[in-house]
Amino acid sequence: MSLTAGVPASPLDPRRRAPRSRLQPRWAPWVFLTPFLLTFVIFTAYPLVQSLRLSFEQTFGPGASEFVGTRNYAALLRDPLFYTALKNTAWYTLGSLLVQLPLALLLAMLLETPGLRGRNIFRVLLFTPALVGVVFAAMIFAVILDRKTGLLNQSLVLATSWLPQTLRWDPEFEWLPRHAIAAMVIASLWMWVGFNMVYFSAALQNVRRDLVEAATVDGAGPILRFWHVTLPAIRPVASFVVLLSLIGSLQIFELPYLLLDVAGRPDDRGLTVIMYLYRSGFDAGDLGYASAIGWVLGLLLIALSLVERFLARGEAEGGA
Amino acid sequence: MWLMVVLLCVGCAALLLPTDRPQGIMMWTFAREHQLMYEPLVERWNEELASGLAPADGSPPLQSPFHVRLLGLPALQRRMMSHFMAGTPSSDLMEVERQMAGRTFLGPLDAVGFVDLTDVLRDEGLLEKMPAASFSPWTSRGRIFGLPHDVHPVMLAYRADIFDAAKIDVSSIETWDDLERVARPLMDVDGDGKPDRYLLNMWETQRDHLELLILQAGGSFFDAEERVVIDSPENAMVLAKVVRWCRGPDAIAADAPNFSPAGNKLRADGFVLTGFVPDWMLGIWSREIPSLAGKVRVMPLPAFERGGRRTSVWGGTMLGIPKTAARTPESFRERWSIAKRLYLSKQLATDLWKTGGIITPVREHWSDPVFAEPVAFLGGQRSGLEYIALADHVPSRSSSPFNTQALERVQRALQDLSEDAQAAGNFDEEWLRERAKIHLRRAHDLIQAVVDRNVFLRDDRANATERQTAHTPEALR
Repeated sequence: MSLTAGVPASPLDPRRRAPRSRLQPRWAPWVFLTPFLLTFVIFTAYPLVQSLRLSFEQTFGPGASEFVGTRNYAALLRDPLFYTALKNTAWYTLGSLLVQLPLALLLAMLLETPGLRGRNIFRVLLFTPALVGVVFAAMIFAVILDRKTGLLNQSLVLATSWLPQTLRWDPEFEWLPRHAIAAMVIASLWMWVGFNMVYFSAALQNVRRDLVEAATVDGAGPILRFWHVTLPAIRPVASFVVLLSLIGSLQIFELPYLLLDVAGRPDDRGLTVIMYLYRSGFDAGDLGYASAIGWVLGLLLIALSLVERFLARGEAEGGA
Repeated sequence: MWLMVVLLCVGCAALLLPTDRPQGIMMWTFAREHQLMYEPLVERWNEELASGLAPADGSPPLQSPFHVRLLGLPALQRRMMSHFMAGTPSSDLMEVERQMAGRTFLGPLDAVGFVDLTDVLRDEGLLEKMPAASFSPWTSRGRIFGLPHDVHPVMLAYRADIFDAAKIDVSSIETWDDLERVARPLMDVDGDGKPDRYLLNMWETQRDHLELLILQAGGSFFDAEERVVIDSPENAMVLAKVVRWCRGPDAIAADAPNFSPAGNKLRADGFVLTGFVPDWMLGIWSREIPSLAGKVRVMPLPAFERGGRRTSVWGGTMLGIPKTAARTPESFRERWSIAKRLYLSKQLATDLWKTGGIITPVREHWSDPVFAEPVAFLGGQRSGLEYIALADHVPSRSSSPFNTQALERVQRALQDLSEDAQAAGNFDEEWLRERAKIHLRRAHDLIQAVVDRNVFLRDDRANATERQTAHTPEALR
């Protein structure tokens, strides 16, 4: 006799479960996953594989393609313009990371100062440039930085008009071709500093007050409190913001394209890797070479992201 | 899931919806001025077709209705390349400007999306009817893929009111050095020794100006065999001269950009006294700067040396027939007949001149009295005849798909040279020329690497050499 005989079945008893479709246990997850898998395969995986194939070919539409082996990659390694683009992108990335992020953190800390009035108004004001879009920002800065009639040159001319002739600002000073990276860093600073500030603000609001107060009671000044209490607390968010900025900076395209190309001033001094990819693929029509550039940049991004994650983890463990 | 199904259904329905393409032969153009000129002609032809009347000019009648559609230049370029590369829908005839055409020559010769017109042009004697230079931008590896729309000789527009007041006889100006010598005093209006206005509208960033000067000087980026020749002595000479004109202590050039209100104001104010004007530019000036009417005239470009070329070329358009629109001999003949009727007609030749100031490439129309009429905007000057006199001296241009990249590199070389000169404070032309050679060599190597990467052109060139195929429109004759 079974021990369970005569015992009412519990609600969890398999015997009491409602009868299910024979297919449900095996196929239900796939049915739910199908929309994602379809879009992933069609719009991500297939283009990735195709672009990898393309990077080993020379093509002119689907009707004319020739396998060239690693020739595109070999040419890329010998291409001085690629290194120029890489160098420019690196400078821009460094400028963005080293200027924009500390400034965003500083602004966030200022806005988190207890008792600050008009905090929300400042937040909105600082965040607004991120809403206007890169095209708008680029157009504004193209006008501001214009050689002859630009607001910046005209303002500097006016500001230095009382100085001796030799010290007066030259209205012909060419910001954009000669200082393209600095112009791009300034424009992106204007756009994204408020955006990053919001991340830091959210992180700062989660810093434990009791730890800050304990550090204050222990005699720690603002710098020590920041270094030993605030920074470790916001490290995960800071690491995330650094990673986002790194990826965004290495993929910069619209800003230099509009600042330099549309204004009719193509110049290597503002050439970034993605711009070079675009020019090679869509202006020069060499899709194989452009694919090779894309893959090299992709590998570079993966490597840098891994390094960043490794460093962030190491610091977190060290800090712990 | 349902969302995906709905989206798929909507997508399929959108694909199956009828397009608004009218029946008959469709032509795409990128120029509003061209469309305005063609519209009355096309309307009349369609009326003749509908009423069954024979064309008044004796041309073969249309076999089906003909339509012209205006597209933006980038839109036309994208549609053209999408059609050639992916088979998306296209028109039966396509008006294409020079740089767009170059893009179609990147692949193997048999992958060029336009019908090869070389044989039909030669058989019908059309190669002799137009200047050879008009065919050059549409010629790749010895084959011609378009019917030329224009010649576009370039002259120098000058402020006749100011030159006349200073009693300067422009017929005494034969070279650029002559212009500098004779007209330099006009730059200093108040007599303080500093320029108040400049002799020439030209700047380092004006790519079109740089290219036309290089072509005038006999330079080029690619030779007739499409080999890279960026580091030529002619190109170095032009770069040296431009740097001295723009940045030297005795600079004569200033920037008054074309197609911009700011530049037009500078021209109207007389801040620049001369500027490069291809035939089409005067039509634009007369609309955009009416205040210049009667104050400007044109003269041949000053040459770089005595006896040198007095003109250059700027811009250009062709009419091509996509291969997919001419799959049978009958369909090709119908489209070719319309192309010839449109581009070679006397009506269009005179309309081109009257509405756009453009000289037709068809020599037999040059004797039409319309070209000898005085032009009010130029104070009654008979500029039509002057442009026609220069039309056969227009330099040939390369159709290389790498031309735009080459021009970018040469412009960069010019900027580098300019910075060198400013840093060294040296504007001696000999020194500048030597420095220019270094920068041009770098540009040459970069473009050579790009060209070497293209396996299709290399293979086709090798085959063409084996066949001893002629590579120029002149040789094709």
